[in-house]
Amino acid sequence: MRDSIVLYLNGKRHELRGEPCFATVSDFLRYEKNLRGTKVVCAEGDCGACTVLVARLTGDSLGPYEPINSCISFVYLADRSHLITVEGLRGSSEALHPAQKAMIECNGAQCGYCTPGFVCSLAGLTDSTKSENKGLSEKRVKNALTGNLCRCTGYEAIIKAGCSIPLDAAPKLSSLYDDSLIARDLRQLSGSVEILSNEQSVFLPETADQAVQYINRYPDTRVISGSTDLGVLSNKGKLKLKRLMNLNALRESYEIKEEPDYWNVGAKASLTRIEKALEKDFSEFSKYLNVFASPQIKNAASLAGNIINASPIADSIPFLRVAESELVLKSIQGERMVNINSFIQGGYKKLDLRPGELLIRIRIPKTSARFKLFKVSIRKDLDISTVTFAARYSISKGVIQTFSLAFGGVGPSVLRMSKLEQMAVGQKLEANLFKAMAKMLKQEITPLSDVRGSADYRHQLCHNLLLKFYDEVARQFEPDAELSI
Amino acid sequence: MSIGQDLPHDSSRGHVTGESIFIDDRLEVAGEVFVGVVGSPIASGELLSIDSKAALAHPACLGVYTARDFVGKHWGSIVHDQPFLVETKINYMQEAVCLVVSSGRETLEEIKSLVRLETKSAVGVFSITDAKKAQTIIARAQKPFVQGNADLALKKAPHRLRGVFVCGGQEHFYLESQAAIAYPLENGQLEVHSSSQHPSETQRVVAEALGLPLHHVVCVVKRMGGAFGGKESQGAPIAAYAALAAAKLKRPARIAITKDQDMMLTGKRHPFENEYEVGFDERGKILAFKVLIQSDGGAYADLSSSILERAMFHVDGAYSLENVWIDGVCYRTNNTPHTAFRGFGGPQGNMTIEAVIEEIAQHLKMDASEVRRINLYRDERNLTPYGNRVENNMLPAIYDRLMATSDYQKRYQEIEAENLKRTGRVRGISITATKFGIAFTSRFLNQANALVNLHLDATVQVSTGATEMGQGVNTKIQQIVAHEFGIESTRVQIMPTSTEKNHNTSPTAASSGADINGAAARNAALQIKCRLIALARKKFSGELCTPLAEYELSSIELGQLPVEVDPDFVFEGGDVLQKSTGHKITLKELITIAYQNRISLGAYAFYKTPDLGFDKTKVEGRAFNYFTQGMAVSEVSIDEYTGEMKILRSDILMDLGRPLNPGIDRGQVVGGFVQGAGWVTTENLFYDQERNLISHSPTTYKIPNIQDTPRDLRVDFIENLENDRNVHGSKAVGEPPLLLGTSVWTAVKHALRYRSKGPTVNISSPATGEVILNELTRLKGV
Repeated sequence: MRDSIVLYLNGKRHELRGEPCFATVSDFLRYEKNLRGTKVVCAEGDCGACTVLVARLTGDSLGPYEPINSCISFVYLADRSHLITVEGLRGSSEALHPAQKAMIECNGAQCGYCTPGFVCSLAGLTDSTKSENKGLSEKRVKNALTGNLCRCTGYEAIIKAGCSIPLDAAPKLSSLYDDSLIARDLRQLSGSVEILSNEQSVFLPETADQAVQYINRYPDTRVISGSTDLGVLSNKGKLKLKRLMNLNALRESYEIKEEPDYWNVGAKASLTRIEKALEKDFSEFSKYLNVFASPQIKNAASLAGNIINASPIADSIPFLRVAESELVLKSIQGERMVNINSFIQGGYKKLDLRPGELLIRIRIPKTSARFKLFKVSIRKDLDISTVTFAARYSISKGVIQTFSLAFGGVGPSVLRMSKLEQMAVGQKLEANLFKAMAKMLKQEITPLSDVRGSADYRHQLCHNLLLKFYDEVARQFEPDAELSI
Repeated sequence: MSIGQDLPHDSSRGHVTGESIFIDDRLEVAGEVFVGVVGSPIASGELLSIDSKAALAHPACLGVYTARDFVGKHWGSIVHDQPFLVETKINYMQEAVCLVVSSGRETLEEIKSLVRLETKSAVGVFSITDAKKAQTIIARAQKPFVQGNADLALKKAPHRLRGVFVCGGQEHFYLESQAAIAYPLENGQLEVHSSSQHPSETQRVVAEALGLPLHHVVCVVKRMGGAFGGKESQGAPIAAYAALAAAKLKRPARIAITKDQDMMLTGKRHPFENEYEVGFDERGKILAFKVLIQSDGGAYADLSSSILERAMFHVDGAYSLENVWIDGVCYRTNNTPHTAFRGFGGPQGNMTIEAVIEEIAQHLKMDASEVRRINLYRDERNLTPYGNRVENNMLPAIYDRLMATSDYQKRYQEIEAENLKRTGRVRGISITATKFGIAFTSRFLNQANALVNLHLDATVQVSTGATEMGQGVNTKIQQIVAHEFGIESTRVQIMPTSTEKNHNTSPTAASSGADINGAAARNAALQIKCRLIALARKKFSGELCTPLAEYELSSIELGQLPVEVDPDFVFEGGDVLQKSTGHKITLKELITIAYQNRISLGAYAFYKTPDLGFDKTKVEGRAFNYFTQGMAVSEVSIDEYTGEMKILRSDILMDLGRPLNPGIDRGQVVGGFVQGAGWVTTENLFYDQERNLISHSPTTYKIPNIQDTPRDLRVDFIENLENDRNVHGSKAVGEPPLLLGTSVWTAVKHALRYRSKGPTVNISSPATGEVILNELTRLKGV
């Protein structure tokens, strides 16, 4: 067992013990290493000013360089990885990275405070675009920069900069420093780590057995995944993190595997990878993950974290509920599989998670039924939902054969609407049916008024989303069908 | 030479490499301490006691300071009515109550949480409606703007409408939150580094707070990470907090508040509720317009009275109004003290008339662009309600060209047809204008001074009162000075703004930064140039300088203002050339000669904008130097199920005279437009019952992100070589384009028309998804 965190920063090795391991990555960069190019604005992963690039040791080599929000990540989460900050993008040469040059030439920087974050996101985009053998389209640039806010430019110049980066001239980030040497060093380190300080501890197990033994021994353990939520709560003083466990060193937890009847998604698989992997069988969900969150968040966050956090506005849960996903929970007694619909027990954050249990995998059954997912938020991208909608349905000869429906943001948990489902199954696909269901809906949900919308607005949204669902489905069969709205 | 060129921002290399230094990036020096602000837990009431025992017992705590620790108790840009810290009366939620000082950054929040406040709540005033009832007033217009007879014309008008235009506030959301570091010098003197648009005011506020004479305080501003007006006045008390700790402890003191606290503590763009009556004929010609402009000034006066005035100055928009009555009042409430924000009341005034025109068009079942066309300021009717003439008026030309290049008519017809089909989406299109008055309406602020130092290697250092907040003012001044000396702009360095080099500076505000500071810097450069020319003339004519005699310059040759530069001499490519003789010398050589002949290579110069003067009590005189004009056409599409809106296309055409730097100016135009579009769509300030601001971070307060920009954005400048009222024929650009964001909101208003079963579309701003869906539901009568 190792008692230190080892990471590389702009090509240089750092080994840390105790207290400093619990700092946020951005504090570590700014105040330990005096790398003050990385800025902190919101300290909650919502503006991207703190964006840095991270490549983790995956298998025997370093994985791709992906942008993350350093303000809500912790040093211990960067164990066995290589961080590149805005100061490190030039490698050992004086020549600017093409992303930096493009930002200068296109007037992409005004006040400069968001610029390092944008530059890092663009450098990451350059790398991933090169490795996928694609070109830099406006759409691709915009998607890559969804997690970076700029208040000065109105983005036009930044988009132009992104599109003008000469991919051929751009060095691979892995070539800026000696990545094979870094990987060789990191490979030699034992995977499991335990770090102790006066107030906090964190355990990084290398096997699932170690993990469940640890939480069995210490029931107060908090499992921290990508820290995209716990990092925020900790930064804002709403939560003191004490005994922590993280599965970054658990290789199998990154797996996304296709089986004949279902997909197995490991607890640490990032949403970015899930979005790509599930495109084939769950294209609607993949598309939906596109507006789920920023690239920085999706590179860190996991489905397991979204499920266990159990927010009533968790964006993945409505889909997982109508998809009848199964959760694999492991404890020292063994594994147990439970349907997410019984795992979520209604009531605010009430889950069928027993002491000593760890969510290690999510199973999403393949289906011939279709999905429709809607997310309504104040801003289309990079926003928390006001209301979410998920439906799984099959229709044959104009009759609804199966119908599953879930809403988020309108009750203490994400709700399955069983009454409405029963109303629909076996009925003809007709506007009147959905109008009746929309009316019925009012009694089934209990939305609150808050910063994202009033209760009345949420009622109206749910009502309308049901009709929108009907109209879109009806028009698949009959393009000129009369709209219900 | 470098004027009008697309040179990159002078800090861009530092920005993209992370080397640019902002306040909190400055390395801590030995003994530096950290200052935090404890805010009030109530919005209105009394402070009964502050219990700081537990905080002081914390090993890292070096002090807890209260109102008593300040020598000067109040500050304010216009009226000194805002206490540095609450004395007894609490006037808004999170108002600064006391300061804590910590020896470490990481313990600051913990120490803050140890301070116990005992307070007693009182009923507060939180809306314009409540303030009207309570008659809590910050300022009234000294005299209404009146032209013709609005009452009579209203009576006679064939059509009349009345209503209230309501718009919300806006958080600046500069990325760098308020910050300052104060370094104690000897004899009680202080050097304060601040993220401020107004170093001289910061100098004054700090001095008054500590009871120091002004010459013992220097304020330095290298750059700001965005400001947008939010650091015009409200950076100063923050600097005073750091200064107090520095003075008390004789240690450098740093304050860098968090984004959350910044959003809760500082003022925003003013919410307005403008009551209007309008009379018009069947062609949409406005015959009479009466408007009472009402703003929510928040808890303290700040700049509210000037902002109210600017709203009144801009409620005519781009339209000539024959019979008009404009009055204004700013109310005092228990909200954050609202402050300057890009546009400074102009947007709230301008948007009112654009909203009214949209309603006239709906009433007459007309295309609103036609209503706009027939009401536009034209040369034969160019008198504003406050007596300024709209000279060099580009509005009709901008209108004609933009209507053509945006293909407005064709798209309007397509939208009309498309909206008849039911697709679940409804579209709208709208053209709106900006005619922004350039000059501070307080005449004394229209002055600037500059210091230019020429060095022996023919590089130049320039210091002015302009502060760089990203807008590129430094680059423009760099270009202006480089142009005069005929050198590359990289040979000119703009130095950090400092009150020891430039005195009594005006805030970098009112879009005037490059106008006045650029002109002052040019004047300084011209003086040196004048000397160099005189010197070159002597040299070229064979006059000798010997160990016994040196070149002597007369007082005129030394560059007394106004400077007349001999056009026979050209500074170009690092050389100085006399055209008539063909003599040539390198600038560097000439500088060396000047130095050896004891001719000064530095100059200090002054500039004041000519011909200004406006008498508020009589409503006469010249309020503005000129107008920056432009128009935008925006098209939006609305999801009828959810109220979600997207901007399909925006076309913008601006008149910027001869742009000093088209690349930087384009960035200002697009940035302003998108910021304006955010204000009128997604940026919603949400308070709970107790008046806690709930939208206090980007998770809950939604400024536009990259996906919210128009899918198709086309920006162009119209040629205008006729503006002789500003440096190099350019026009100010900072604020005017923000007003064009309004076109997105009016396009929404237009779209909603198609789903109305009768009622006039009536939406407030911002038109969030919720506002749009509610209105759709109302209009459909379901």
